[in-house]
Amino acid sequence: MASQAANEHSNRRYAVGLARAFGGAIIFGLPNLMTMEMWFLGFYLDRPRLLLFLIVNFGILVGLSRFSGFEETASFKEDLLDALAAYGVGVIASAAVLSICGILTPDMSTSEIMGKIAVQSVPTSFGAMIARKQMGGTEDQEEQDVAERRAGYAWQLFLMVAGALFLAFNLAPTEEMILIGFKMTPRHSIALVLASIVILHAFVYGVGFAGQEQAPEGSGFWRLFVFYTIAGYGVALLVSVYVLWTFGRMEGADLGQIVSMTAVLAFPAAVGAAIARLVV
Amino acid sequence: MAEKARRRESRRRARTGQPLLEWIAAAIGLLLTLAVLGALGWESVKGSGARPPAIEASIGAITPTPAGYVVEVELRNRSSATAAAVEVEGELTKADGTVATSTTTVDYVPGDSTRKAGLFFQDDPRRHRVDVRALGFAEP
Repeated sequence: MASQAANEHSNRRYAVGLARAFGGAIIFGLPNLMTMEMWFLGFYLDRPRLLLFLIVNFGILVGLSRFSGFEETASFKEDLLDALAAYGVGVIASAAVLSICGILTPDMSTSEIMGKIAVQSVPTSFGAMIARKQMGGTEDQEEQDVAERRAGYAWQLFLMVAGALFLAFNLAPTEEMILIGFKMTPRHSIALVLASIVILHAFVYGVGFAGQEQAPEGSGFWRLFVFYTIAGYGVALLVSVYVLWTFGRMEGADLGQIVSMTAVLAFPAAVGAAIARLVV
Repeated sequence: MAEKARRRESRRRARTGQPLLEWIAAAIGLLLTLAVLGALGWESVKGSGARPPAIEASIGAITPTPAGYVVEVELRNRSSATAAAVEVEGELTKADGTVATSTTTVDYVPGDSTRKAGLFFQDDPRRHRVDVRALGFAEP
């Protein structure tokens, strides 16, 4: 009897977690769900690249489950279950919102419907995964384990990748990315790169350690700057290139254009990398 | 108290594993994940090839309105490649040989999909010859 009651209790807790996950999926997904370019990408995005991106996204979900997720996790199996559930929530939430808005209709081809949902499932599943932390997670024993796991440098880098990927993915589909690239002169680009680095460092140094992790012992300005800020900007650049490639933005662009588009996208990516360590 | 309860909960979880609901949610998630990956994977393998968009235009319903007659045009893309900025032209040829032309542009006609557009004409298209065709497209 007691174990049955306990089971009901844990089921209820999980149900609450799921509800939060849906909330997170909607909040993080809405900017994309209501963006025209994202619907169009659903049917013309190159399929192998979209497939690859979904697999990368799934890996990120499994990794994020280590740090937060809507359930505390103790093992890789649980992380996998968590990631699957979060992806399921993302797909359902995307399909629901797109249908309500009349973006998905029954007379569309399977390819179009699947593509539209697949593109949106990236930000919505991300939101579903980090919802617990965002929407009233509790401090407990396992939270501490999570905090310990955060400390590793590889995990720090992973978090930066996740944050950069999320923000870059949000912005890369819009025409504005290309337009901004055209409007900026090389001087603007250089200024933007420097601004990105300064902002990233401000987050790493000023905000990043508030209640998050201890500044490494005896770490001077340069150590922090090189291992977190510059490494973080490198992550932002690589992620930007990858996202631009996924969206087919590089086709037919010359090197100069690619560099300026990358610099533009690396700005939000750097901000994403910086705040991921606070948000997740 | 709450702290204690949570500890117990966490120990219990370690012993009995995940709640049933977690398995159900994960199973649904797995199903959806495989569905999306499967559909995209199949499309990847099938590929759009090098086939360019092939758009057929056909005439649908004709409706008289105060602004003139509306000829509904259905655009069917026979290729799996998406066409953007599709120009559509309709020509109404009267018995005396005079021709009236109306055009419109459709933002996107996705691969293997249909989109609808409308053309206005002053004369009743049902009493004259009307031809519609897609003029061209841009790559998205």
